[in-house]
Parts: sequence; C-alpha cells; structure tokens
Amino acid sequence: MSIEVKNLTKTFDDRKVIDDISFKVNDGEILAIVGFSGSGKSTVLKLICGLIPYDNGEIITSEGDIAMVFQYSALFDSLDVADNISFALHERKDLRKKFTEDEIRKIVSEKLEMVGLKGIESKFPSELSGGMQKRVSFARAIVTNPNTILYDEPTAGLDPMSSTLIEDYIVSLKHEINAASIVVTHQMSTITRTADRVIMLYDGKIVFEGTPEELLRQETPYTKQFVTASLEGPMQMHGG
Amino acid sequence: MITFRKYLKQSATYKVFSHFMISFADFLDTLGKIAQIGFRVFISICKGEISWKELIFQCDRFGISSLPITLSIVGMTSMIVASQVAHEMVKQGGSNFVGLLMTMLIVREVGSIMSGFALTSMIGSSLASELATMRVTEQVDAIDVLGVDSVSYLFVPRVLSGAIMMPFVVIIASVVGVLVGAVTADVFGGLPYRAYFESAWLGLYMKDLGVCLLKAATFGATIALISCTCGYYASGGAKGVGLATNKAVVWSFISIVVLDMVFAVLFFF
Repeated sequence: MSIEVKNLTKTFDDRKVIDDISFKVNDGEILAIVGFSGSGKSTVLKLICGLIPYDNGEIITSEGDIAMVFQYSALFDSLDVADNISFALHERKDLRKKFTEDEIRKIVSEKLEMVGLKGIESKFPSELSGGMQKRVSFARAIVTNPNTILYDEPTAGLDPMSSTLIEDYIVSLKHEINAASIVVTHQMSTITRTADRVIMLYDGKIVFEGTPEELLRQETPYTKQFVTASLEGPMQMHGG
Repeated sequence: MITFRKYLKQSATYKVFSHFMISFADFLDTLGKIAQIGFRVFISICKGEISWKELIFQCDRFGISSLPITLSIVGMTSMIVASQVAHEMVKQGGSNFVGLLMTMLIVREVGSIMSGFALTSMIGSSLASELATMRVTEQVDAIDVLGVDSVSYLFVPRVLSGAIMMPFVVIIASVVGVLVGAVTADVFGGLPYRAYFESAWLGLYMKDLGVCLLKAATFGATIALISCTCGYYASGGAKGVGLATNKAVVWSFISIVVLDMVFAVLFFF
C-alpha cells in the first residue's frame, strides 16, 4: 500500500469540501478521481501532498517522495527547462550536495528523454507549447524518483493528440517507476486510458467506486449522469 | 427589533464602522503575516540557508537596476530644496549655512527616504507582483511540493539583497544629492562652490553616516519583506496580483515613514 486516506474531512468557510472520504492506492496502481467542477477533486490532491492542512482523518503514505503535476504545469517561468527539472536537486537540503553538476545534467537529460523531449534544456517555459510544458512538468516531478505521483487535470486544455501522448506517459511512468498514482480528471479518455480504478466525488463525498468499465456501464444515477454529461440527475452544478 | 437592526445595518455609521473593523482586522492579519515570515527569514539566515546564485541576481536587481530612477528622484528633490533654500538664505545673509543644511538634510533624511520611496515603487512593486503571480500560477505550491521551503527560497535572497544593496544606493544617491545641491545653489542663489562645500563638511558627522547606513539597510530589508509577503499571500487571479501589489506599495510607504520617525526619535533627540 502506498497511499491510504481514512475519513478525511476538510472545511472551507463552513462548507464541507471533503466530507469523510476513505480510499487506498497501491504501488503501481492508478486511481482516477472524477467528478464535476467544484466537487473537491483537486482539494484531495492538495491535502495529500500537504499544501493545505486537513481538519479530520488520516493520510498514510509509504516512505519516499510525493510528486505533483499541476493543472497548468506550474513551471518556474524565470528558469530554463534544465533548471526547472533540476530545481529539487539544486535546492533541496537533503539532495543539494548529493550530485555533481555533471550528474545533474545527466539526470535532466534522462528525464527529458523519458518524456520524449530531448535537447530542449536551454529553452524557457514561454517558448514551449502547452503539451510540452506539461511533459516538462512530468520530468520535473519524477526527478527525485517519487513513489507517489499526483496528477491534477493532466490533459485539461490540450488537443486530443497531446492528451493521448500525456495519457501514454502516465501509463508508461507507472510501469517504469512503479509509483502509486492519483489522476484528477473529468475527461473520459484520460479515465479509460490510464485508470485502474475510479472514484467519483460529489459534494465532497465518494458517490461511486469501481473500475473504468463499471463507470461506463452507467449502473448508478451518478455514473449515468457523469458519462452522459447530463444536466438531469442527482448531481447539481454549484452556481449553475 | 428586526426593523431597528435592519435600519442599523443600512445606516452610514454602521457601514463606516464595519468597514473600519474589516480594515483593522486586515491590518492585524497583514502585520501578523509580516512578523511571522520575518521571523522565519531571520531563522533561515541564521542557519545559513541562502541561495547564493539567487542572492547575486537579486542584488543586481535591487541595486544596479534601481540606481537610475533613485538618483533621478534624489537629485531632483535636492534641486528643488536647494533652489529655494539657497536663494532665501543668501538673501538673508546665511550663505555660510547652505551647504551644511543641504548635507544634513540629504544625509539624515532625503537620501534614505527618497531612495526608499523610489525602491518601493520600482523594486517593491515588482517583487510583490512577481511572487503574487507565482502564487496564483501555483509556482509557489510547486516549490513546496518539490520539498524546498518556499519561504526560505523566495524571501531570504530578496530580503538580504535589500539590506545589502540599499546602503550603497543611498550613499551614491546622497553624494549625487549634495553635488546637485551645490550646482543648484550656484545657479539660483549665486553661491560659490567653495562656500557651499566648506560648510557642507561641517554638517557631516560620523554618527549621521552610521545612522544613514543602518536606516538604509533597515528600509531595504523592510521593503523586500513587506512586498514579498503581500505577494506570497495573494489569492485569485489578475485582480489578486493587482491587490497584492497595491498593498505592498502602500504598506512599504507607510513603513518607511514610521521607521524614519523611529530612527529620528532614537538617534537625534
């Protein structure tokens, strides 16, 4: 077991954004968290990686790094691609003196090759397309060989071919580093192509848990509404 | 009772009072954040957690890039003051004191306070908007997720560069101010350079220089700390970046005036 979330609760301004949810993700497994906008998907990731504190519950992760691929890549725009990827190796206390500059250059080159972007070390994020930025952020996330990777809407805003490329990288990274992965998404292609299991959130609660195939079978009102993208059903859009 | 409460909520007094209370709560919140971050920065500096590469970059930004605008502002302020003082004092028979007055004024007040204002508008606003943009684009979150302390990485080089570079900026600006004062006194008051500089030396004390440098270092660190804190805690999108920058400039200006008053009370009374 790599990540276990038990009875997690988070409240913002008297509104329960995450309401007593529990799930597990094993090593080498990809869990997709799906749901409409505002259902608390991204909040779960931020709680797991410690960016925001939770009110109640427990998050148990096995030893090792947690990496996160952000929705809009979150690359450091004042640094070039090489410095973005090697950021943790240069600035993290426990890694700062572990590698020589030559070793860091080699690691950066290897990680870029893994995401199919060899030779762009000296480019700045503003010179890259959205899909390339996303792949660089993948390379940056895996530079410390994490055992948990969190993806926040990895294919949002990308064209279908770039989305397919990103989905393939998520699956290949699973095989290469055997990490436990959580993918937050609402894109059906990402769910079906990457996930081993799916949980659906609505109003901070888990309303469905199963495989992508079970999701597609639309056996519950929630899965039916999600898959058909219908406005009719138990889930109502906030502010809609 | 309900009618009275409704009436109360609609009254101008209630609105002014509630606005005041919200502003006061925001003031305390900001003050608390600045103090908290300031303490963390201090601890990081004591532990030697300094990114030297970033420090050099920030020193260049704080000192070299800001020099032209700072010199222009201090030079022009000296010109305005000297043109009025020299003309009047020469007329009243006080030509021997023009240089002294200008030097004291520039070294004690004009050099540091005008440089502080110039650096706030140029560097402080840029620091605040930079960190605010990093916050709203999740770059600050990315630093934390990568296992690097974002406060230490972002604040330490910026605050240190402010404390290191501002004294240099103020010294150069003060020298320029005194020289501009001499030229202006000659042009507007017909005061010879020799008379100006002879009295200028009399107004220059080591204590004044020491206090000027200490004040400059304090101003530099304060501008950087306040601006970075306002940017670091920004939220929302473009509007959040604008609000953070606005807050940083207002807070820095007020802090410079308050600190200047504290220095005046501590060292010159």
